[in-house]
Amino acid sequence: MGQRLFASYCILIYAFLLAPIVVVVAASFNAGAFLTFPPQGLSLRWYVTFFENEVFMRAIRTSLFVALITTVISGTIGTAGALYAVQFAGRLKEAVRLAMLAPLLLPEVLTAIALLFFVYAIGIGTRTMVGMIAGHVLITLPFVFINVSAALESFDPSWDLAARSLGADRLTRFRRIMLPLIKSGVIGGCLFAFIISFDTFTISFMLKGIGTSTLPIQLFDYLRTNFTPEAAAVSSLSIALTVAVVLVTEKLLGLKIHRF
Amino acid sequence: MAPKKRHLAPLLLIAPALIVLTVFLVIPYLNIILMSFRTPGNGVPYGAGWTIANYGKFLSDPFYLFQIANTLWIGVVTTLVCLVAGFPVAWQLARGSNRWRGLYYGIVLAPLLIGIVIRSYGWTILLGNNGVINRALIGAGLVDGPLPLMYNGLGIIIALTHVLLPFMILPISSALQGVDPSLEAAARSLGASRAITFRRIVLPLALPGIQAGSMLVFVLAISAYVTPALIGGLRVKTMAVTVVDALIDTFQWPFGSALALALSVIGALSVIAFARLTRTKWKAP
Amino acid sequence: MTELSIRGLTKLFGATRAVDQISLDITNGEFVSLLGPSGCGKTTTLKVIAGFEHADAGSIAFDGNDVGELPAEKRDIGMVFQNYALFPHMTVVQNLAFGLEMRKRPRQEIQTRVAKLLDMVQLSDLAERYPRQLSGGQQQRVALARALVIEPRILLLDEPLANLDAKLRDEMRVFIRELQRRVGITTVYVTHDQAEAMAISDKVVVMFGGRIAQMGAPDEIYDRPRSREVAGFVGRVNLIDGKVSAVTEAGCRLRTGFGEIDIACPWRPANGDSLTAVLRPEAITLAPTDATGLGWGGRVLSAYYSGNTIDYRIALTDGSELQVQTFPTRRFQPGDAVTVMASGASFWPLAEAS
Repeated sequence: MGQRLFASYCILIYAFLLAPIVVVVAASFNAGAFLTFPPQGLSLRWYVTFFENEVFMRAIRTSLFVALITTVISGTIGTAGALYAVQFAGRLKEAVRLAMLAPLLLPEVLTAIALLFFVYAIGIGTRTMVGMIAGHVLITLPFVFINVSAALESFDPSWDLAARSLGADRLTRFRRIMLPLIKSGVIGGCLFAFIISFDTFTISFMLKGIGTSTLPIQLFDYLRTNFTPEAAAVSSLSIALTVAVVLVTEKLLGLKIHRF
Repeated sequence: MAPKKRHLAPLLLIAPALIVLTVFLVIPYLNIILMSFRTPGNGVPYGAGWTIANYGKFLSDPFYLFQIANTLWIGVVTTLVCLVAGFPVAWQLARGSNRWRGLYYGIVLAPLLIGIVIRSYGWTILLGNNGVINRALIGAGLVDGPLPLMYNGLGIIIALTHVLLPFMILPISSALQGVDPSLEAAARSLGASRAITFRRIVLPLALPGIQAGSMLVFVLAISAYVTPALIGGLRVKTMAVTVVDALIDTFQWPFGSALALALSVIGALSVIAFARLTRTKWKAP
Repeated sequence: MTELSIRGLTKLFGATRAVDQISLDITNGEFVSLLGPSGCGKTTTLKVIAGFEHADAGSIAFDGNDVGELPAEKRDIGMVFQNYALFPHMTVVQNLAFGLEMRKRPRQEIQTRVAKLLDMVQLSDLAERYPRQLSGGQQQRVALARALVIEPRILLLDEPLANLDAKLRDEMRVFIRELQRRVGITTVYVTHDQAEAMAISDKVVVMFGGRIAQMGAPDEIYDRPRSREVAGFVGRVNLIDGKVSAVTEAGCRLRTGFGEIDIACPWRPANGDSLTAVLRPEAITLAPTDATGLGWGGRVLSAYYSGNTIDYRIALTDGSELQVQTFPTRRFQPGDAVTVMASGASFWPLAEAS
């Protein structure tokens, strides 16, 4: 009996976790003009409306652009940092780890505010994307670091010694032994970075310039005043995009689930 | 082989990250601390001169004090609910059969992939007076009128729990996986029942994970912006919402900074106190 | 074929002398074991030879050329690690090819040499497998093949059999030695298992506390140990304390608590000297008490039967105990009175003071 109670409880929680997602996707197919659930009739009209909405389309392009740049920057310096922390830091390892995880431990809203003041203080304001991208890099860095260092921790140092004994120099060892074996950690970290950057709101909201907008911001704006299912359509597409990115990466490059 | 020279080159690996963190995190945060001591400006974000009046302003205003208390309260309740809801799932992830584990991980991680705005939006659909939950309850005859689930603390807690549950589940699951199953077998062989084994062997060893998850959820809950903004609406505001209002809507940069810092400091102190209270004497492996 | 020369090798970790003034020569094609308990410095010595650790003093020369300044990658060594260290993302063939690729050998040559070595270790049909798909013994053979395919100057093995079960260990040590003979490569083998070291080595170097306690052929170490520690480490041993009661032509007469015996002695002891002699359990025979007046009286304290031998503990008349090992042709029970016999030639006096 205890087993069944436990299982039902867990299923309840899983349902709880999935509920809003299901609701949003279902609502997007609503034929009616109001946001209801269950939907009154099924239709794709809201998807059509969305594709014709230039504002949303531009927001998606901006989001993708920012996410891409963020992933490249964050992926590079995060991987380098993880390499240092695990292989070279020695006694400083915990300190380095704390530093790299700091943006995660500080409230995002505070980081956003701090960056906002900073870009004004140094004179560039929000005219350029520097502030926003810096913010995105900051909040994605910890995830790249966690993933890559997890992969590095499972790297057996005797593999490196064996390669040395067989005559491989430092660069060759890195290229042919270390890199392939931490590949999944790096890919996983970059994937996290991309998705987090694409979906993040607060940093983008505070640091966006006049006229630029990312998808989450646009959606947020829209939701405050509109109640049509178009927002649901946008959301569903965003979900689909994210899932697609994960699946494609999984298929092409292979991933392992890392411990948090 | 020149061992001395080698010690410098690896620093290049950490240098970019350190530079980014210093320039875009440390300095801006120091700047914010400075900002909180500036005088408010007229028509401009801040004025010349320094003052501590900003801190005084909200420490003496019951409105703000109530907000802080409310925000902390929401944080505590959210953390507790996440703990109760998340622990069984964490257990199943750690101990359950391998076949479905990938799927369970997927479900737990799915909300993280979706984006905070969309998630909160989903909850607005569910929690409104005309929303899914109320219509289901009324339709089933369980209640007469709609339950107020939105624009109040309850709605915020429900939505925040949903957002933060993965952050509770994953550390606990990780800690549970680290508990050697042969320890439980040893306890049982010595005569301990399942319940006692759980309480005295498993739970203490999983405590670091529970600690980590709780601290993470609490900190994220009290500093959340999007979810309380969408669910709380104009009626109930948490600290983060108030802060952003002060900054973006009314351009009170010094005051907003003081508020934000106060919130962070209170959060940090709470976390430290919690860590102290739940500290274990033995070191976890 | 390479000669290895080590002189005054010292390695410190902080204040600890892990390796303390080690000197030894290994000739062409010799199989030498470094034998000792954990922490005796044998693995550190191996690492310094390989180039993974830098010596604090002393020199290492391959064929007369000092290699101290050469990094590990350039020393042309072949190393077999305790956990095999096979590259998990490469197949068996790729693992073997790696060292040859580092030496920039042409593809054709790599293929031929890899195939030949796979054949030598009898793993040809597992060529395309990944390490995780192989058993412990198979992984071990791959590790060996990978080290040998590059035809290095020296073969170094770091407790390669430690992770295998007993029966496989026995088979593999013979396999390794046979392979080494075939290839004729100078080999340094680190182990803490004395039976293993003695079974397959040309020379055994016993190490304690960073120093060489004794070095020589296996039978020399076993039959003529130079100290109690060496005697005790390479096998079970009875240490018989006594005094010289007379000096004889071949050696001396030793008076012990339970009787007198004439033993051979490589030096000339003086009358009245204290002496400790080594007596191996298998050199002692037991007979029922009613035998002739030879030997000494004793009582069986315990008897453990292990199939091909029986291990006894016998109490002698003066209260001292002997470990005895015999074939199971005759079995005694605890409590039995027995006569203990051993020839004078089986006693080996220890040079150091007891």
